[in-house]
Amino acid sequence: MELWLQAARVAAAANLALLLALGSVWLRNYRSHGASHTLGLLVFAGFLAVENALWLYFYVLHDDFVGWFLASGTDVQVGVTFLCGLELAALLFLVRVTWR
Amino acid sequence: MEGVLWYLLASSRGGETRARILRAIDERPRNANQLADDLGFDYTTIRHHMDVLMENNVVEKSGDEYAAVYLLTDQVRANWETAEEVLDAVESDAEGE
Repeated sequence: MELWLQAARVAAAANLALLLALGSVWLRNYRSHGASHTLGLLVFAGFLAVENALWLYFYVLHDDFVGWFLASGTDVQVGVTFLCGLELAALLFLVRVTWR
Repeated sequence: MEGVLWYLLASSRGGETRARILRAIDERPRNANQLADDLGFDYTTIRHHMDVLMENNVVEKSGDEYAAVYLLTDQVRANWETAEEVLDAVESDAEGE
């Protein structure tokens, strides 16, 4: 079903945007304070950003992957969508405590 | 508590402001108006940061609602060495800018 593919694309794109926003705060703080705690968050954001960029590539540009996704059962489509969807929920909590 | 202090003071957006507030309260307890005057911030800015610090059990209010001053919590006092370490990290660069 096309709907789950769209949801997965939106979630991966939103994750990437949130990670860039979080990363910008952490990068600024790391450059001014140099705390290893902040560096840890920065590395975390960096790897998750790469992960989501990869998801986005598969969801949007990779025809074979999209074909496999659309040919799969609902369990696979929902499950794979949840990989990015649940991460989005987690990142929103992190944004909430970082942005204040 | 250690992670909380690093996050609140060194890794989030309002960290530097909260570090200055915490330093001021460590010097002597103050209310929101005094903090706003002494540090040169809006009253609403101070209130925002005080809410964040209270939610995380870093400061607490004492006295009646109107003149309530903020104090460090026992939890922060017990971890004051860590707090100093975080404050030093945040302050050393604030001066260098």
